[in-house]
Amino acid sequence: MSDRQRILIVDDDRDLVEALKLTLKGAGFEVTAAFDAPTGLQRAASDAPDLIILDVMMPNATEGFHFVWTLRQHAEERVRSIPIVMLTAVHEKTSLRFYPEGGDGTYRSGEYLPVQEFIDKPVDPARLVEKVRQVLARGPELR
Amino acid sequence: MELIDRISWLIRLRWLAVVGVVATVELARRIFPVHLALAPIYAVVAAIAAYNLVLTWLARRLRPFPAGSELRLSGIVAQILTPRALRGMEGEREAARAALFVALQIGLDLGALALLVHFAGGLENPFIFFFIFHTVISSIILSRRATYLQATLAFLLLLLIGVGECTGILTHYPLDGVWRRDAHADPLLVGAQLLVLGITLYLAAFMGSTIAAHMRERERHGALLAAEVARKARLLEEAYERLAELEKAKSQYMRKVSHELRGPLGTIETALKVVLAGTAGDSPATVQDLLGRAARRAGELAEMVEELRVLSRAREARLAAEMSEFDATELVTDVVTELREAAERGGLELTLESPGEPVTICADLAGLRQVIDNLVSNAIRYTPPGGRVEVTLARTADSLRLEVRDTGIGIPAADLPHVFEEFYRAPNARAHTTGGTGLGLAIVGAVVRQHGGTVNVESAPDEGTRVTVALPIPSRACPNL
Repeated sequence: MSDRQRILIVDDDRDLVEALKLTLKGAGFEVTAAFDAPTGLQRAASDAPDLIILDVMMPNATEGFHFVWTLRQHAEERVRSIPIVMLTAVHEKTSLRFYPEGGDGTYRSGEYLPVQEFIDKPVDPARLVEKVRQVLARGPELR
Repeated sequence: MELIDRISWLIRLRWLAVVGVVATVELARRIFPVHLALAPIYAVVAAIAAYNLVLTWLARRLRPFPAGSELRLSGIVAQILTPRALRGMEGEREAARAALFVALQIGLDLGALALLVHFAGGLENPFIFFFIFHTVISSIILSRRATYLQATLAFLLLLLIGVGECTGILTHYPLDGVWRRDAHADPLLVGAQLLVLGITLYLAAFMGSTIAAHMRERERHGALLAAEVARKARLLEEAYERLAELEKAKSQYMRKVSHELRGPLGTIETALKVVLAGTAGDSPATVQDLLGRAARRAGELAEMVEELRVLSRAREARLAAEMSEFDATELVTDVVTELREAAERGGLELTLESPGEPVTICADLAGLRQVIDNLVSNAIRYTPPGGRVEVTLARTADSLRLEVRDTGIGIPAADLPHVFEEFYRAPNARAHTTGGTGLGLAIVGAVVRQHGGTVNVESAPDEGTRVTVALPIPSRACPNL
């Protein structure tokens, strides 16, 4: 096993995944990818990467959010606590929440999606690498 | 209902007649040397007053038309009595009932008048012409046929008095000193008088009912016209609703398209940025330059797509679903902080004045962020270096005021009315910079309208622009929280 830090990208946009892979590999990370949420969850559980870059995954709109809640409920601590960087600026635009099921659809004060960082599209390569390094240094502490 | 109002009028008129008869009798007794048969005359007056009381009571009962308690009219009577213009219209049954009521009243009145005339000189009495007065009243209220019936009744009563008194079958009560003593017994005089009275009665019936029919026809025409106007108004309303539906569908379509475009555009921009960052290997300066241009244009396109998305969303008026509670002070501070770098690049001084405390409002966060961003970005974009952009947020008793003032190129007066139109850019704005989609202020207008607020632009070319947004602050919290 390499001592390079491993990043899993979960995104259905294969072109974007390629661009991100190039950037992150160039920055010295080991990168794998999954193109849908179920595969992503499997890969997360089997590989236990150091960090996940997760897209909201349109057109389903909420698939990425469901991924977060499912992963955070995983039986294994090492899987449950993998830091996530979300590829969206949705936190700036809405106070809607995306529970796997139920809930009234909005956050109350002090509630938020349990991810470590958000980054908006289009992704600025330098900013992505910077944020990924910050999160890896910080560990599973939530944003 | 009109006919019922006229019944009340008739009853009031009758009280006036009672007073009038008494006054006339008393006056005549004092002025002329006549000996009137006071007992029967006052008996008739008392009878009029009595039946007017009964009629008043009946009219009150007639007004609400309690079911089952009404007079039942056979079809033929209704046909005869009801004015033609009222037939076939709503409330015809009530109209027929009221018409019968009026016909009975006028019949009673004619009888009373005949008695009064009989006890005060018969055909010699100058008030004989009141029979014509009754015919005119009939023509105003009743149908043409009913009017002729009433005129005939009046003529028969006059005939009875004239012939009866002439032949001695009825007692003649003379008006001494007013008329020739034996005039009532002169068949020629009585015949001539009856002829004139008869002609006058039927002429009055004809003229009165013709004029009344004409007026009723106009009323009916007016009512039909009003109904037609109401129908057209309904059609117009329906057309407007369909148009609003179409507009909404168009906005939904625009929102979906812009939504779909966002993904690929983001990927294009990201890929270009990755290449430009050199991660994919070095590229020659010319390639770098072209890719830089492509990235910039992709960025502009993405901005336009995002603005279209926000605009269409604001147009869909789905506000309730987008509302949330947040601190407006924090939002304005955030946006101004984000834009500070752009202001510095443009050599501008960007200032923010805001209440030191949080101002919680219930609004569409993304929409309002866009409003503030667009206004401040515009001010920065159209203000030459060395200028100033001042952002002021203030809270009044029931509204939130955001003012963005700049020392920029301004908007010519001729362009001011168009600045909220989609894709509109004033010529001096186009000359100043190639950036800008022409959607910024359209979004501001749409979002502010959606929130029930107002936006006002004041500007002078080469001096600057001041945009003021006022949003109502609802007293209640967000309904969906």
